[in-house]
Amino acid sequence: MNVGLPRMHKEAGERRDFLPRFVAALEAAGATAITLEEGYGAGMDIPASAYEAASSRVRFGTYEDCLEQDMVVVVRCPDETGLRILRRGSVLLSMLHFPSWPSRARLLAGMGVRAVSMDGIVDDQGHRLVEAVEAVGWNGVQAAFREIASLHPMFSHPDRRPLHVTCLGAGAVGSHAIRAATRYGDPQIREELVSKRVPGVEVTVADFDLTWHEDYMISRLHRTDLLIDATQRVDFSRPVVPNDWIEVMPPDAVLLDLSADTYDFSVRPPKIKGIEGIPEGNLDQWVFHENDPAYGRLDPRVRSVNRRLALSCYAWPGLKPLQCMETYGSQLEPVVELILADPAAAWDPTSGSYEQRAVARAEVRTWLATAAA
Amino acid sequence: MAGDGRRLTLGLPRMRKEAGERRDFLPPFVREVAPHAARVVVENGIGSGMGVRQDEYQGPGVVVGTHEEAYGQDVVLVVRVPGPEELRLLRPGATLVCMLHFPTRPGRVSLLRRLDLEAVSLDSIVDDEGRRLVEDPEAVAWNGLDAAFGALEHTHPRFWGPRRQPIRVTILGAGAVGREAVEAATKCGSLARFDRLEATALPGVEVVTVGRNLTRVGAYMRDRLRVTDLLVDATARHEPGQPVVPNTWIGLLPRHAVVCDLAVDGYELDADEPTVRGLEGIPAGNLDRWVIETDDPLWDATIPSGVDSRNRRVVVSCYSWPGVHPRACMQRYDTQLTPLLAILLDRGGVGGLRPLRGPQDRALLRASLRSWPSREDVRRSATPRSGSPILRRRAARRPARSPNRSLTQSAGSRPATARQQILGS
Repeated sequence: MNVGLPRMHKEAGERRDFLPRFVAALEAAGATAITLEEGYGAGMDIPASAYEAASSRVRFGTYEDCLEQDMVVVVRCPDETGLRILRRGSVLLSMLHFPSWPSRARLLAGMGVRAVSMDGIVDDQGHRLVEAVEAVGWNGVQAAFREIASLHPMFSHPDRRPLHVTCLGAGAVGSHAIRAATRYGDPQIREELVSKRVPGVEVTVADFDLTWHEDYMISRLHRTDLLIDATQRVDFSRPVVPNDWIEVMPPDAVLLDLSADTYDFSVRPPKIKGIEGIPEGNLDQWVFHENDPAYGRLDPRVRSVNRRLALSCYAWPGLKPLQCMETYGSQLEPVVELILADPAAAWDPTSGSYEQRAVARAEVRTWLATAAA
Repeated sequence: MAGDGRRLTLGLPRMRKEAGERRDFLPPFVREVAPHAARVVVENGIGSGMGVRQDEYQGPGVVVGTHEEAYGQDVVLVVRVPGPEELRLLRPGATLVCMLHFPTRPGRVSLLRRLDLEAVSLDSIVDDEGRRLVEDPEAVAWNGLDAAFGALEHTHPRFWGPRRQPIRVTILGAGAVGREAVEAATKCGSLARFDRLEATALPGVEVVTVGRNLTRVGAYMRDRLRVTDLLVDATARHEPGQPVVPNTWIGLLPRHAVVCDLAVDGYELDADEPTVRGLEGIPAGNLDRWVIETDDPLWDATIPSGVDSRNRRVVVSCYSWPGVHPRACMQRYDTQLTPLLAILLDRGGVGGLRPLRGPQDRALLRASLRSWPSREDVRRSATPRSGSPILRRRAARRPARSPNRSLTQSAGSRPATARQQILGS
């Protein structure tokens, strides 16, 4: 089976590609040829020779060449033009997010592509096997504390008061964000400040049983230095923190968006971000000051009059691309081994090996069948 | 293979700590590890506490034996630490694998060495990134918080009443257990209770997590404790000789407050490196009784004399929170332990482990008693900590030791933490 590894062309700041170790694993798993897009690894300063050294089956080609292979592996999903290059019967392994992109699922199924969504590969207990939620929490919180440190002249002073963080949500991302926040997003900074006897960080967690309580939230936001959105909402039509509530926050407070939620007025009801009025960031820009032009590009229906320094990024793990791709690569190795060993196998979510069941749950046909039911 | 080339035998004794201890390794685990051992001796009655029939354990290489016979094998695996008498049933040179908690049990470490035992501490098995490989923090947190909210329903005058303020939970520690505790606390310790709460118009739960960079700020802590309904100790302390919350601070909690103990610290006041509990003056529960009222005999039975316990609130504490739901707990341990035990048996014991042979060899080596002496040397070469007042009083009563071991000296450079030592080894 020939494998294609296209690059991700979402934004200039997207520097991630799979590492040479993953290419070696593809060869070991039985890939007959491995086509990498020209410039693969360049964003992380990995030379082409490193990939060639990892596997003798590596060759370089165009973006289209990569998408025409029997199996295509890429973290972020190609756009529709790219998807339409995929061949009938080929395998696409990517973050496809079927629940929030049902049209994508239908397109791929209609094209006869065996699409496996990385975000849908879950074990028998429902735990995701391909994820970087720890990196989401830590990278985001670390970036936020860098801004706080520059905003607060007393940040490293023993006489300053404890910092107050409010985290919305206590799920997978939230739990890492909470731990990261107690450590300023950086254990080294924590150690330095502990040794100087600088008061630390109080992290308050409010889940959806409390975020509806306006009086409580207003009093909480009034003394919040860093507000983190780590929610996993069911209803996207209403923000967790309406823009008007932001007005009560200290002027030097910071807002951090760890959710991948977007604004979308093309659907009914429209989708609003959890913290209303903050821009949508990406790997080119994730820090937004109050006068940033990005606010002007928001849909006028988004209320954004109340602003604080905001951080938002669609792909927080991408801030540390090497670390991120090491994680994804090692998580995906058993998956590609399984697919390459028997690409025509009919996996069943209820039987077979642990890996077979996990991959079967992520297949587009399984998802469509479940959604239809 | 053992050093002499023969295959090792494995013993699986039962735990006899208290009647409520119902856990044993499950039949699938025994079947998985049996091919790696010359013989597996399971103690008579294994599985009965969980309703598992003994004949389900039958298979090639598995025999049923007495308590003593189970302890008489080359490798002995048991979750909780055996008592001193049981430890003496082990043969010199045998390997004990269990939750030994080396960092906070220096007395136990000394005893194991005196008995000439090899040991692997399950709680110290960490991967190359320092993550524990044998643990069930989710069960610790959820079982503990379920018990705590159950107690709070009774002590809080308006838990289900109108016009109640949000329930305020303060969690000390943001490690693996603390992280799970946050989610469990936001869900009132159980989804059933959470659903019931959600059906009312009552505000939910505010959870505040406090790490060690804030627990030492007295003014903050005192203010926070005054409004705390539920105080949770989920710390993994760097300085086990000092409490995080002195008993006087517990007196600041509202009368109805509940204290939830998720740490497994104990008191070892007479050890070379004394240990106190994170919350000073709280009793220790077990699988027979984990909700402890303020007049319960466990206060006197489990708190050493001289430790201030005058300020009391209802405490939920259990040495083995995962054991509250024994089958789920053992299913998890079985999955985590199978590959590790297979490696240990295949290598012929700790002596056959080689760091370069793979991550599991390294993980087991880090957790072995053999690796511990060098850590003690590190500790001894470091300037000792100042210790809590109770420790200073005790130290004053003890015979003098070499000056550099004095507990009354002021703290200088801090000894390397257990975590740092593990990662650094």
